[in-house]
Amino acid sequence: MADYAVKKFFQLIVTIFGVVTLVFFTLRFIPGDAASAMAGDTLSGAALENLREKMGLNEPLLSQYLSYLKSLVMFDLGETLTTRLPVGGLLLKALPITLSMAIATIILTVTISIPLGTLAAFMAHKGRRWLDNGLTGMAMIVDLMPSFWTALVFLLIFSLTLGWFPASGQLTWEDPWALVQRLALPVMVLSITQIATMARITRTSVLEVLSEDYVRTARSLGWSELQVLFRHALKNAALPIATVIGLSFGNLLNGTVIVEFIFTIPGVGNLLINGINSRDYQMVQTLIVFYALLFVTINFVTDLIYRTLDPRVQF
Amino acid sequence: MADLSIKSAATVTPGLHKALAAARRNPLITNIKARISLFILIPILTLMILAPVLPIQAPLETNLRALLESPSLTHLFGTDKMGRDIFSRTLAGIQVSLLVGFSVAGIALVSGMIFGTLAGFYGGILDRVIMTIVDIFLAFPSLLLAIGLVSVMGTGLIPVILAISLADVPRFIRLQRSQVISLRSRAFIDAARTVEASQYWLMSRHIVPNTIAPMLVAGSIAAANAILIEASLSFLGLGIMPPEPSLGNVVRDGQLYLEQAWWISTLPGVVILLIAIGLHFLSDGVRELLDPRSRK
Repeated sequence: MADYAVKKFFQLIVTIFGVVTLVFFTLRFIPGDAASAMAGDTLSGAALENLREKMGLNEPLLSQYLSYLKSLVMFDLGETLTTRLPVGGLLLKALPITLSMAIATIILTVTISIPLGTLAAFMAHKGRRWLDNGLTGMAMIVDLMPSFWTALVFLLIFSLTLGWFPASGQLTWEDPWALVQRLALPVMVLSITQIATMARITRTSVLEVLSEDYVRTARSLGWSELQVLFRHALKNAALPIATVIGLSFGNLLNGTVIVEFIFTIPGVGNLLINGINSRDYQMVQTLIVFYALLFVTINFVTDLIYRTLDPRVQF
Repeated sequence: MADLSIKSAATVTPGLHKALAAARRNPLITNIKARISLFILIPILTLMILAPVLPIQAPLETNLRALLESPSLTHLFGTDKMGRDIFSRTLAGIQVSLLVGFSVAGIALVSGMIFGTLAGFYGGILDRVIMTIVDIFLAFPSLLLAIGLVSVMGTGLIPVILAISLADVPRFIRLQRSQVISLRSRAFIDAARTVEASQYWLMSRHIVPNTIAPMLVAGSIAAANAILIEASLSFLGLGIMPPEPSLGNVVRDGQLYLEQAWWISTLPGVVILLIAIGLHFLSDGVRELLDPRSRK
């Protein structure tokens, strides 16, 4: 196990190093350079040269790269090019909002999809397939709905027509109730896709376990159906479900960018879109690297947890 | 002249009957999932192709006497703030979507085949290098990678296609590599080796043909995903730029008018969903047709 973890960790480091390098050099291949792309037509001659100097673009490429690596290791994320605010500070301010949306989505997803999927598997096992068929069909449609479209439809129905949730307004931690109301719709939009995927996975895993020998043994020993379902089937199906929660985190991150844009939530995704629109390459570079780091780290942890908890997995 | 046309019509008709009879036996039509997909995709394709001759306003034409009109017979999907016809813009957007979807699937399929086969067949250092690069690209969530690439390459059709392809190619390389590795040690490959088949022969005659079916299935799912990502990029204002219509930017146009004119955003979104569902059923159908084991 330790060997495996060390090997995987080494791979993780190589991947992270590759991500940082890829992002750095991609941004250096912008036609013209970052300074002229940023300035557009507003600067010329000496002023442009001045900006280049300030951005460190006149240094040799290799020394730019090395100083970038050095600053990353020191957790110095630099300043935004337009407003001269520290990128690290902006990220730290935006991150709690994005993370609380993500965590709320995962909690809502798990509480709805696992009972739903288990029920569908149980009924399919008993030969009543209507819930199963309905769930599979719904899951496919929901899975393919573009999240920006779902968000607008929800906004139209729940906010503009029914008036249940505010469509805009301040987001502060001082007023938790307002915060919850404001984040409710985005979390619903994010959850609906995740619920579809997760319920389907739960259904498949539980259905698989239900035909295992040890489940039959448990039944023959006189355990009731519910006990079999929860003590044996769901417990053994929990691992693949946990893995999928980890793996679908990438989709969740994609989704947060879209809902933050639509519901004007000042999270990391909004920071990214603003960075691109103001051609702030320092910001874009940092945020893209940040998203990739978050994603690979979660995958790494999921993989390790899976292998630690499941004694059947071999190394 | 008249004689000739009658004669040719007479010879065409039995041919037509034969073709129809053949079509009825065609597995693409008898398979239920393939049939659902054709049922969804063919009308959409037909409308898209016929768009220039349909009696509707051109996609870029404005009409100041019909601003924000709700859906009616003259404007099936209503009009927007400049009096442009949403139905006609949607049909033009479908062209962009399908172009993006199939280009991305094609690029991903071909490059996945090439690099995946090389990595899986030769193994060793080449495999290590290719797979390390693949892992680096897979470290980015797909939409975020596409956003990052578009922010560097600029907006428009070609950058969007390239950005989404780059996000998809690694997945295809991985799939192809795992297929090649499992084929490499099969008996028929050993048999071919014993008669001194060249490596090129092994790959082109024995390995690649056996990997095509799953790649095609993955390809039609990739086309659906590419269409969804293009729509998301255009919605965020990073893909196809207005006034050129794409399904994503038409939805974006309607966002500000959601309350007064719900049809601008919602109806083109339904079309995106339908295309994605059609392509998914197509991939399911193709899988069942190509793999006899999954047939019920």
